[in-house]
Amino acid sequence: MSEERRDSGDSFLRKSLRDAGGALVFPLIAIFIAFVIGALLVLASGNNPVAAYVSLIQGAVGSPTAIGRTLLNATPLVFTGLAVAVAFRAGLFNIGGEGQVFIGAITAAWLAVSVGFLGIAAIPIVLLACVVTGFIWGAIPGFLKARFGAHEVITTIMLNFIAINLATYFALGPLRSEGIVPGTETIEAAARIPAIGLGLGRVNYGLAVAVLAAVVIYFLLWRTKLGFRIRAVGLSPGAANYAGMRIGTNTVLAIAIGGAMAGLGGGVEVLGVYGKMSIPFVSNLGFNGIGVALLGRNHPVGVVLGALLFGGLASGAQEMQFATDVPLDLSDVLLAVILLLVTATKLVELIIGKRARALASGTRLDEGLGN
Amino acid sequence: MTERQSASGVADAAPVVLEMKGVTKTFGPVVANDDISLTLKRGEILGLLGENGAGKSTLMKILYGLYSPDKGSISIEGEEVKIKDPKDAVSRGVGMVHQHFTLIPRLTVAENIVLGAEPTKGGRVDMARATRDTEELCERYGLRVDPRSRVSDLSVGVQQRVEILKALYRSARILVLDEPTAVLTPQETEDLFSVLKELVGDGLSIILITHKLGELRGVSDNITIIRDGKVVDTVKTSDTDEGELAKLMVGREVLLRVSKEKSEVGEVRLSAADLVVKGNSGSVAVHGVSLEVKAGEILGIAGVDGNGQTELAEALAGTRVAESGAVLLDGEDITKVGANGRQRLGLAYVPEDRGTKGLVQDFSLSENNAIKTYEKAPFSSRFGWIFPKAMRRSAAENLRAYDVRPPDPDARAGSLSGGNQQKAVLARELSGDPGVIVASQPTRGVDVGAIEFIHGQLLKQREEGKAILLISLELEEVRSLSDRIIVLYNGRISGEVGPDATDEELGLLMAGRGMDESA
Repeated sequence: MSEERRDSGDSFLRKSLRDAGGALVFPLIAIFIAFVIGALLVLASGNNPVAAYVSLIQGAVGSPTAIGRTLLNATPLVFTGLAVAVAFRAGLFNIGGEGQVFIGAITAAWLAVSVGFLGIAAIPIVLLACVVTGFIWGAIPGFLKARFGAHEVITTIMLNFIAINLATYFALGPLRSEGIVPGTETIEAAARIPAIGLGLGRVNYGLAVAVLAAVVIYFLLWRTKLGFRIRAVGLSPGAANYAGMRIGTNTVLAIAIGGAMAGLGGGVEVLGVYGKMSIPFVSNLGFNGIGVALLGRNHPVGVVLGALLFGGLASGAQEMQFATDVPLDLSDVLLAVILLLVTATKLVELIIGKRARALASGTRLDEGLGN
Repeated sequence: MTERQSASGVADAAPVVLEMKGVTKTFGPVVANDDISLTLKRGEILGLLGENGAGKSTLMKILYGLYSPDKGSISIEGEEVKIKDPKDAVSRGVGMVHQHFTLIPRLTVAENIVLGAEPTKGGRVDMARATRDTEELCERYGLRVDPRSRVSDLSVGVQQRVEILKALYRSARILVLDEPTAVLTPQETEDLFSVLKELVGDGLSIILITHKLGELRGVSDNITIIRDGKVVDTVKTSDTDEGELAKLMVGREVLLRVSKEKSEVGEVRLSAADLVVKGNSGSVAVHGVSLEVKAGEILGIAGVDGNGQTELAEALAGTRVAESGAVLLDGEDITKVGANGRQRLGLAYVPEDRGTKGLVQDFSLSENNAIKTYEKAPFSSRFGWIFPKAMRRSAAENLRAYDVRPPDPDARAGSLSGGNQQKAVLARELSGDPGVIVASQPTRGVDVGAIEFIHGQLLKQREEGKAILLISLELEEVRSLSDRIIVLYNGRISGEVGPDATDEELGLLMAGRGMDESA
């Protein structure tokens, strides 16, 4: 009996490691192939791919400043990646991260000015408010889906327009500052998320909040009743319903929790980086979150890694453009090819053979990553 | 019968029309077909017998050009051929009648038959000719179908005939039928078999795929048995019996008949009164059914698929809301209680569809094992946490008790064979010691070995005094397990009989005759 127990525990550990290894191999292959294709493009444009990639990597991780830039880029993407991943676990495509970020951002920009006198104590209050407004905003498409069957892809896209314009209206209307730059008033320095320092530039403790959020989402999904329900509903609505779970309630909750994550991301950007919401506000965080989640297989750990890759490529590309003649846009091409390969598993199979299929488990859109 | 003899006599000396030699097909590590060879002669009906997952369908998909074999050859009429796709197969005279029909319900019989191969006149579809051709076909093969009627108005048996006509219209010489009797009443099955005999009398050759032992007896000339992707044997139907076939199919002695002890019948545990339930399409599927299941008995529900069985089971189990009427558990009205609540009150439900209802395929067995009880200790705390270790421990116990293979709580449910998946569902449902069990087609798509096990478990529960409602499309199963049998037709009870009722009696009730006294 005891031997059996030990045996099963042992194989469980080994299985987890193998799963983790398997989960990494496929994206790594995709990244490698993307870099090969990228090298051909660089070559075709008359540049030296080795030089381009050296400066790309240097720009991403070559110095504390570079690492700082990468981390700064990655921080909001962790939140928006989680926003997509949580919803996806319930079988929903949350395309509304963009709008949810704006809702969180305007919430932070407004509330932090009002309660800024509290100093550092204002930060948790403001971030909590961002979570709440993001949650409510995310609940709308969830409710529309559960109650009326409106497809969440359509509603979240449409709500993006509403959210962006609503936030812009507030930032340029009732909350507009007297300053020259259009946007809200600047938040008192004491009520902002402080920088980490260590020569990492503007990287702030928002990064810690992002990692914490990923940990929370991990525990939520795999260690709580709610997460159990969300995953069951996402993998098999029929079986979940048969087991007595409420599909509608869990739909609303999953996408609302996603909204809360993106909202928190918006708040962290305002409190940590900009100190206010200026218009135009930083864009595409929500949409890049979709790619981050896909690359990270909708797993919190994968989302963090995916965000780092996105962030690293963006900061490396700046350096590359500066040092060589290769334009910034190469990083977008690389990302696009990586995502294409990660989602189109058949394509990689064509390139590297049948063994790819075994490695690809979990990356296909129609299946989840088994626990 | 005399006609039968002559057909079989011809088959012995007749030329070979199809020869598959050394066909091998692998999917990753799984060898679906391992060096399979079979021959089909003109005018022969060849039974292809094997358990689910034995490789029958893969082999036929190779013949129909849906898969290409890794190794091996196919010869049709003595000529070696490479079949590229179904179109290629059709042009070589291979016709396939799938288990799930491929007809368009809104179109007429003639339109369906010519679809994709329409006769044209001046670039336009010549419907008059299509109708005429169809009529001719029907006459030639003695198949009674009105070419002008709409497919949606036809019974399942007649729709199947349309499928056969479709193949014949494309000049099929080799006809493959995949589990054709799964959707038919005993009478319709008889009709189908007499049609098949006429077809082979006309020079066609037929491959009949099935996992039912009994049904090949009266119809096939030879039977090729496949197990684990290999041909085990090919036997003459007249030289064999069901016991031998079962042994060949499973690889060991199988108990075909269950021996049933007398049991003490007690109080009414589960009852339904005037239950009206709507189906998925929104139309009423169950029209006022009343029934009672007592402790220590198995009440069987027989009927052709789609006569309200699913909806009835779901309404009893609480996963579907009843329009009106009442469900009572131990005398208490539970009509308003959800599936969860009913389960807590001691009602277990084995759903007919383990693939999309019974199990979350991508969950581990341990998660599936706890999917109904995850909210209770020791699987979770009051604060919302769940404890995977406790889930795993309990699952390991259940899996071992119900002989699920592999008994690995971390295995993905979808990676198990159908029989083992069903055992896993059973393990979960029965482990809570329920007082009442609703089992909907508990052995559908399950191999013979697992059927034996599941039947044994249900009878054990009965002896322990549980009240069991068994819904099944397999008459033999209902008859051998049940103490009483209710037949459903069009959502109504068309009659109640004892377990010794004959095929004819049951068949008439399944076709809705004898309604007047009970409806």
